[in-house]
Amino acid sequence: MPAVSTVGLRRLLGQRGLTPATWIPEASEGRAEEATIRPARLVEGEVVAAHPVGAAEPWPDPVAFLDGIQRYQIVGYLDAAPLVVARVAAAVRERSGPGCRPRLAVALERRLAIGRPEVLDRVADLFDGTQLIPLDDKVAGHPVREVQAARKVVDRERGALELEVGRQFRAKSDAWLVIDGALSEGIDWVSDPRMIGVVKSHSTLPFGGADQVTYLRTPYAHRSSVFAPATRSLAPVHSWALRLWPWEGEDLFHGLVRIETRAGDDTLSRVDQLSRWLLAERAPVSTPDPRWDRLLYGIHDVEVYLRARMGTR
Amino acid sequence: MIDMTNPKADPIGRVVATELKPSTPHQFYFWTSREAPVGIGTIVRVEDEARVVYGVVTEAFAYSDLMTPLHDVIGADGDPVLAGQLPTERAEIRLFLASVLRQQPEEPLQAVPLSSVYQADDADVVAALRMDLYTSGERPTAIPVGVYSAGGLEAPVYLDADFLLGPEAAHLSITGVSGLATKTSAVEFMLTSIFQTFPAHKGSVAAVCFNVKGSDLCFLDQPGDLTDEDRALYQRLGLTAEPFANVRYYAPFKPDGVNLNTLRTHADLAHNTEPLVWGLREVLDYAEVLLNRDDLDAKADAFIDFLGERVVGREYHDPSLRDAPFQVQTFADLEEFFRAIFDFMEALGRGEVWKTHHLATIRKVRNRLGNISTRSKGLVIDDGAVNDLPWGEFEDRSVLVVDVAGLDPLAQDLVFARVVSQLREHLERRDLGVDHVIVFVDELNKYAPADGPESYVRKMLLDLSERGRYLGLVLFSAQQFRSQVHRRVVGNAGTTLFGRMDMDELATPGYSTLSPAIKIKLATLPKGELMVRHPHFTQPIFVRFPRPAVMAGRDGVERFPPEPDLPFAKAIGRQLRQLGAKVNDDAVADRIDGRRESDVRQAVHATRRARPDEAWPFFLSCLGRVVEPEVVRPRRAIPSVMRHDDPYAP
Repeated sequence: MPAVSTVGLRRLLGQRGLTPATWIPEASEGRAEEATIRPARLVEGEVVAAHPVGAAEPWPDPVAFLDGIQRYQIVGYLDAAPLVVARVAAAVRERSGPGCRPRLAVALERRLAIGRPEVLDRVADLFDGTQLIPLDDKVAGHPVREVQAARKVVDRERGALELEVGRQFRAKSDAWLVIDGALSEGIDWVSDPRMIGVVKSHSTLPFGGADQVTYLRTPYAHRSSVFAPATRSLAPVHSWALRLWPWEGEDLFHGLVRIETRAGDDTLSRVDQLSRWLLAERAPVSTPDPRWDRLLYGIHDVEVYLRARMGTR
Repeated sequence: MIDMTNPKADPIGRVVATELKPSTPHQFYFWTSREAPVGIGTIVRVEDEARVVYGVVTEAFAYSDLMTPLHDVIGADGDPVLAGQLPTERAEIRLFLASVLRQQPEEPLQAVPLSSVYQADDADVVAALRMDLYTSGERPTAIPVGVYSAGGLEAPVYLDADFLLGPEAAHLSITGVSGLATKTSAVEFMLTSIFQTFPAHKGSVAAVCFNVKGSDLCFLDQPGDLTDEDRALYQRLGLTAEPFANVRYYAPFKPDGVNLNTLRTHADLAHNTEPLVWGLREVLDYAEVLLNRDDLDAKADAFIDFLGERVVGREYHDPSLRDAPFQVQTFADLEEFFRAIFDFMEALGRGEVWKTHHLATIRKVRNRLGNISTRSKGLVIDDGAVNDLPWGEFEDRSVLVVDVAGLDPLAQDLVFARVVSQLREHLERRDLGVDHVIVFVDELNKYAPADGPESYVRKMLLDLSERGRYLGLVLFSAQQFRSQVHRRVVGNAGTTLFGRMDMDELATPGYSTLSPAIKIKLATLPKGELMVRHPHFTQPIFVRFPRPAVMAGRDGVERFPPEPDLPFAKAIGRQLRQLGAKVNDDAVADRIDGRRESDVRQAVHATRRARPDEAWPFFLSCLGRVVEPEVVRPRRAIPSVMRHDDPYAP
C-alpha cells in the first residue's frame, strides 16, 4: 500500500489514466471455501463414535495463538481491467501461563497490488513498499474472473505469511502453538508435535452417511473418533471434532470445531488431554464475534490485534 | 526552585478519539497501560510537532472486550469461582478523560492532537497552571499552596498573590467536613506561606483571626509536632517550618470581669494574651448588630445617632432634665440619663415625645442598650476601662487572634462587626500600620448564611467580599457547607480550597461542574490534601500540604492547661504578676480590700496599658490612696450663759 491514503491513491490513479473505483467485495476478509465431502480415513475405531473428554482443564504451559487476516479492495480500472490492492497480516501472541494476557510474539504485514501487467506497469511507481503481483493472462478478459483470481492470490499470500510468522515463532519458542485453521497449510506444521490447528469451518466434511450424522451430532464436551483427513496437499495430519458448547436449541454446527495435530503415534494417547485443554479455551467468550461459539479467545485476541493495527477503514 | 532540566521521559499513553468521543479544544481521551501512575487529578502533557497541550485527568474508565455481562456468566458456566480461573485474561483498557489546562500556542485554538501522552514534570506543571506568569520575572508574586504529587513527582504549586490578596482578585474560601483538621490546618499553613513569601514589593501584611470554637487557634506561637514528610514538604515549597513569631491574643473576660474567657490562660502564655474590653462608646456605633430586624427602624436609628453624637462621651446639658450637665461615659451613666428623661416626661404629665423622639422608641433603645452589658458581660464592662486591638500599630507579619469562643453568639457578632469595620476604616485611611490584612473567619455559614434574615454582619461580609480587595482587606473563610454560605460571599472568593467533602454537599448544584470522579475523590480525600481552584488554573488541582508548624489546639491544651478561675483578689494578683509585679496574693488582697472592684479593674487596666517597669507601685499609684471615712464626734455642748437670776430671762 502506498503511503498515501486510498482517497489520495484514487486521485493519483486518475492522473495516470485509470478510472478510480471504490468496491470492497463481500467477504473480502475471509478465505473462499466450497461445501464438499472429502472422505477421511478413520484412525481410531471402526466407525465414527462420540467420546467424552472429561472436564475442561486449564492449559498448564505457555501457549501461543496464530492467526492472519486479509483485506482487499478494487481501487481503479484501466479500461475494464481492475486494480486490486490488499493487505495481509499475521501474528502470534503468546500467553505465558494460565490467567495471563497474551503478548505479541511475532507479527508481519504485507501490502499487495494485483492486476494485469499493463495495469501494474502504469502505476508501479505509486506503490512504494508494496509487492506487485501480475495476474496470469489466462484470467484476462473478464473483470469478475480477474477479481476472483486476485482473491486467490490474497489467500495464498496470507497463508504464506502465516507460515512465516509460525516459523519465526518456532525459531525462538517451543511453546504450544494453536493456529486458526488447518495444519495442512505447511509442511513444518504437520510435523510439529506442539502445534494444533483449530478449524471452525465445516464446509469440507470428512464423512458422509451415518458417520457424518454421528460426527456432526457430537455432544457437548465430547469428541469424535480420530481420523486422517484427505488433505489436498502436503503431509497427513490427525483430526477429530470437538464440541465446545451444547448445540441443542442452536445450530448443528454450534460449538463444533475440528482439531488437527501431527499424525503421530502419540496423538491417540493425548487426544483427550488436548481436548480437555481446548475445552477450557472456550472461555472467555470471544464475543462480539458472531463465531464466538467456535472461535477460541486466544485466536480472537490475535484477530482483534491485527484488525486494530490495520485500522477499520 | 523549579527544575526545568528534567529530560523528557517515555510516553505513558496515547490520545484516542472516535466520532462519539472526539478530541476537542477543552477535553480529550487517552489510554495508558494498567500500571501507569495516572489517576484523577494527574497532570499530563500531549505533544505533537506543532502543539503542546496540558490536561488534568477528570474521569477514568476501564472496560474489557466483553459485550454484555451475560457473556461473562456464560463463559464461566455461571460459577464465579471459574470466572476467576479463565485461561486467558481479557483484553481491557484504562481510558482517561482529561480537561485541557493550557494549549501552546493558544491561538488558533484547536482540538487536542491524537498524539503521545507524557506524565507532567516540574516544568510542565508550571506551564500547565500558568504559573510561569507569576513565579518568575522581576516582580514574582508566587505563594506556595502545596505540592502536586503524581507518579513520584512532587511539584510545588503556587498561587498568585495578586489574585489571593488583591488587587486583581482576593479572598480564600475553604470547605470541608469537620473533624479532619484540614480547614484550620490549611489556613494556618497558608498564613505561614504568605508571611514567609509575600513579596516585599507588595507591602506589608498582617492577619486577624477569630477563634470561634475550641482551642484551634490558641497556640499559633508554639511549635507543633511535624513528621519528616512534613519537613520535606516545607523544604520542597521553600518554606521554613516554624510557628508564628509575632502573635497577640485578645480575649474578653468572663462575666466576673477578672478571669479571661479563653483556654489560653496558662501563665507561660500570658505575655501575649490580653483582655478585650469595650465600653459604651465602642458598642454604641455597632448597636445595630445587637438589634433584631424588628428593632431596626428609622426612629430607633435616629435616636441612637442622637445618643452617639450628642450625649455619649460629651457633656450634655438640658436644664429641663436636671441642672447639672450629663457626663455619659458608662452604661450606668446612660441609665441615669434615660431615667431623667422618663422622670421629666412623667412630671410633665402630658405628651409622649421628648425632643422629637417618641417615648416608646426611647424605651426600646434603652432596653436594648441596657441589656448589652448583661448579654455581653465580660466583653462590655461598665466601668469605662477599654482594651482594644492595637489600631494604627499593626505590625508586618503579625497575627492577632481574637478569641470569642466563649462569648454568646450575639457578642460574637458584635466583636466581629466592630473589628472588621475598624479594619476597613483604618485601611481606608491607610493608618492601620500594614497594607494588607487577612481576616480569618471559621464557620462562615453562621455569619453569612445563604438563607435567613438580613443581618448587619452578613451585609458587612458581603461588602468585605465585594470591595475589600481594593483596600487590602482580605477574607479567609472556612465552612463545612459552602452551599449554606451566601453565594455572593463564596462567589467573590478568588481562590477556593476543598478538603474532604460530604457527599450530600457535593450533590448540591454548586458542584455540578465537577465530574463524578472528582466528587468521589473529594469525598475520600485524605488529611493534608486539598483541591485548589485559582483564577490561573482552568481546572481544579489537587495538592498536598504539610501540617502547620504550630501546636495543635488539643496538644496545646494538654501542654498548657488553662488556669482555673480565681476569686477576684487572686485573679487581680495573677494579672499583676503577669504584668511583672513581684507581689503575692496576700499583699494584693490586703491592698484592695474594701476597694470598689471597678476601681481595681481600672487600675489594673491602666497598668496593662502603661506596661511600667515597676508594675506593683504603678498599680498602687493608679489605685490611689484609701480615703478613710471621717467620723464626726459629737462635741460637748456649750453651757448656756443664761442665769437664773437674770431678770430678763424668759
